[in-house]
Amino acid sequence: MTSQTGDLVTPWSDTRVSLPRHLYVHVPLCSSRCSYCDFFSTVDDGLPEHAAVVGHTVALLRGWLTPQVRWSALETLYIGGGTPTVLGPHLVQLIRSLTALIPLASEAEVTVEANPESFTPALASALAAEGVTRVSIGVQSLDDSALVGLGRCHDSATALAAITAGVDAGLDVSADLICGVPGVSAEAWERSLRGVVEAGVSHVSVYPLTVEAATPLARAIEAGETLAPDEDAVVDGMHAAAAVLGELGFDRYEVANYARPGHRSLHNTAYWTGKPYIGIGGGAHGMVDGAQARALGLAPEEGGDIGRARYAYAAHVLPGDQLQPLSSIEHLTVAEAAREDAMLGMRMSEGISEGLAVRARVTPALESLVADGLVTFADGRWRPTERGWLFGNEVFSRIWGVVG
Amino acid sequence: MTDPTLIRNFSIIAHIDHGKSTLADRVLQLTHTVADRDMQEQLLDSMDIERERGITIKAQAVRVMYDADDGQTYQLNLIDTPGHVDFTYEVSRSLAACEGVILVVDAAQGVEAQTVANAQMAMNAHLEIIPLINKIDLPAADPERVRHEIEEGLAIPADEAVLASGKTGEGVRDALEAVVRLVPHPVGDPEAPLKALIFDSYFDAYRGVVALIRVVDGSVSKGLKIKMMATSTVTDVEEVGVRRPANIPVDTLGVGEVGYLITGLKDPSLVKVGDTVTLARHGATQQLPGYREVKPMVFTGLFPIDGDQYPDLRDALERLQLNDPALIWDPESSHALGFGFRVGFLGLLHMEVVKERLEREFGLDLLATAPSVEYHAYRVKGDMIVVHSPQDMPDPGHLDHVEEPYLKATVLVPPDYVGAVMELADQRRGTFRDMQYLSATTVELHYEMPLSELIMDFFDQLKSRTKGYASLDYEYIGYRASELVKLDILLAGKPVDALSFVVHKDKAYARGKVLTEKLREIIPRQMFEVPIQAAIGAKIISRETVRAMRKDVIAKCYGGDISRKRKLLEKQKAGKKRMKSVGSVDIPQEAFMAILKVDE
Repeated sequence: MTSQTGDLVTPWSDTRVSLPRHLYVHVPLCSSRCSYCDFFSTVDDGLPEHAAVVGHTVALLRGWLTPQVRWSALETLYIGGGTPTVLGPHLVQLIRSLTALIPLASEAEVTVEANPESFTPALASALAAEGVTRVSIGVQSLDDSALVGLGRCHDSATALAAITAGVDAGLDVSADLICGVPGVSAEAWERSLRGVVEAGVSHVSVYPLTVEAATPLARAIEAGETLAPDEDAVVDGMHAAAAVLGELGFDRYEVANYARPGHRSLHNTAYWTGKPYIGIGGGAHGMVDGAQARALGLAPEEGGDIGRARYAYAAHVLPGDQLQPLSSIEHLTVAEAAREDAMLGMRMSEGISEGLAVRARVTPALESLVADGLVTFADGRWRPTERGWLFGNEVFSRIWGVVG
Repeated sequence: MTDPTLIRNFSIIAHIDHGKSTLADRVLQLTHTVADRDMQEQLLDSMDIERERGITIKAQAVRVMYDADDGQTYQLNLIDTPGHVDFTYEVSRSLAACEGVILVVDAAQGVEAQTVANAQMAMNAHLEIIPLINKIDLPAADPERVRHEIEEGLAIPADEAVLASGKTGEGVRDALEAVVRLVPHPVGDPEAPLKALIFDSYFDAYRGVVALIRVVDGSVSKGLKIKMMATSTVTDVEEVGVRRPANIPVDTLGVGEVGYLITGLKDPSLVKVGDTVTLARHGATQQLPGYREVKPMVFTGLFPIDGDQYPDLRDALERLQLNDPALIWDPESSHALGFGFRVGFLGLLHMEVVKERLEREFGLDLLATAPSVEYHAYRVKGDMIVVHSPQDMPDPGHLDHVEEPYLKATVLVPPDYVGAVMELADQRRGTFRDMQYLSATTVELHYEMPLSELIMDFFDQLKSRTKGYASLDYEYIGYRASELVKLDILLAGKPVDALSFVVHKDKAYARGKVLTEKLREIIPRQMFEVPIQAAIGAKIISRETVRAMRKDVIAKCYGGDISRKRKLLEKQKAGKKRMKSVGSVDIPQEAFMAILKVDE
């Protein structure tokens, strides 16, 4: 029992710990696997049944509601995957059930990840009616041969139609694009960038093609069937994205994310600014602060220097599995949590405050990064430079303290 | 004490891998010195590294009792010797304790370079030589050819060469009969003052230094006051005994006997191999011949990868030195590598063995710089500086001339490969001396060449260019003036001291070029462009560039990626730890050895 200074402890005062205001829900189904992807997902062949997936996901969420905690209205809800839109009408049902369980704050950001082939005008309208405000579409490229190479099951026309569907439904639309795909010329890359903007997106994420171990892409490169991404093409692609999107009025607010003013992803920003979030579903991760971890049974009730806890679900959390089968729980001390925040903050153009740097005790590391031209310091904030973004590993590892 | 006429002291000598230690094992079994159930392979090679590499590093002595065909029981003292040229001095001291040798020659390989060198050493010591053709069980065995090579090449009669197989035990009894019949018994004066040769020593944590000795004159027993003549150390005998192969104390060791001697001395530098033990009072005045200080020939910098291990490295070197007085070192500091030691070795094998023992037995993670030799740098003002490390080479402006150690190298090779050997020797500044046919299948070539060239992977090259047929032996013949220059390697404009080396001026350009190219491949791309330059003094002779890396991961980092990202960074840290940072440049360890692997 804790008491607040000046307040009388009354029997009806609520001592339950408030849970995070950000929720991530993982839908581990896709219509097909892409060659480069190593996220957990199974191909949607009708089994498990979509209704069962919805029921199971809602049950998972309910599992977090214990007498020791209380939900606060969510500021952001993100339905990711996988490809949530393969659920079709059941996706609408899922969102309805989730928001019936936990209220959304007014102005809450509700994002759904979508793939072009399963994002129809009808689904877009239904989602918008259910409170969805934002859709993040996996466009990847508007170059049809690149789409084939990446193992995508849509073409550029379908992608543009999906964007239009989102815009017409009144949603904020974000497009994911992949740069450095072998065989895509600089001109074709610029056409993809301009194409999605012309179609009406207000947000673009640009990632280099990354060869993850044990993916079909990695095997194809190993076998000499396809080219590995070229470093120069990747870097040139990143520079082109910054130039083109900047010219079109987009602000690069994170190393790989661009938005028109007022259209940043609040949910993703929470990840980069140390805000706790609950994640549910197979392979999903969550992060809670020390008090939340204790209340949720993710940490001992007393003792220990626990600044935050991170947990992950086992990959195969599907209907029929036990509820809340977490595969890992990790504790970070208060100091480590601050250092993690400092590291992640340097992905953002805003960087981190002087205060956080002091709390995280990373000022000397930041100074060394300034000396190498990877970071700047101005107006009380440490910010990454363009070069610092390109050499993220160097920046992060010096801040995390694993170098030097 | 045994009647000297019933004693035979002999050694087994051979080229490396000709099966000397296995043969010694069979002798121990045949004479029931070791019960069959206690028998392990290469019993006399007690170090792990000796067994693994199949080499003998330390001399060993064991007494066996042999019931000969003549009905007498003989005391045979078998002295196993190191088989590698690095340990030639130890071999020579072991031979000095014997009256005869069994010269083992592989029935398939035939006479090789160290067969010749060892046989010559035995002849120079006037020892009875019993040729033994070993491994006759091998399908490729050709005893007749080998017999011929022994006679032609070594001028040793081989009609009655023993045919044996250490593997099956065949012929081992014949060998011992030959020892009894042919090796002279020791002769000495039992009434004269004690004279005993120390032919090896080792350190025991409880007993201190244990010397292995051969009594020449007089006798030695517990309680006697003795003197080590070379070091003038006076001490008491705590224990004498014989090795069977475990130490068995005895009352006295008399004329001709071989055994061990414990004095309680803890400092190995006072008990030197080759020294003579005599009485403290009224002792002998004349030392036994052949004693010399063992001088290291090859030097390398050893640096702990983790600077915190520096004190551990020093302790480990001190511990190893207890058993290996040939090991010497001085502290060395490098801008590139931090604090370490400049360590002197008898040769490359000795260096490898020591490095391996330091890493394995003491858990150290070490970086070794390219080996160097001892240069004598004569300065204009008239003095001479001993240079063990390229860093210490005086400025060209102050130098009058530089001398370097030279060797006489002996190469034995089938006639088909003579051209290849000549070409290699020529590239390595070798001066041809002479060549002779030992037999129709074996040619012996003599070269004089700088030791510094030999330690540059000469042996590997020799082996690969002769399909493994060539064998090599060498002996030191003194210092000679050479036109040598110090070549510096600069990374990002800064000289990296640990990459400097001394090279003949005519080869400096070629080697600088190859090395900068090699380093360009080895040094990973970094955040900045890294120029690699080779320079003599202020003059740049070659240049390469490691292109700058343009990015270092811009992967997604959402909710699930954060833990993974941190773990990835930790993993990369482990990888980086295996590199040395010099200024802003990360240099992988192999860069420091690249100079050794420069094909020309």
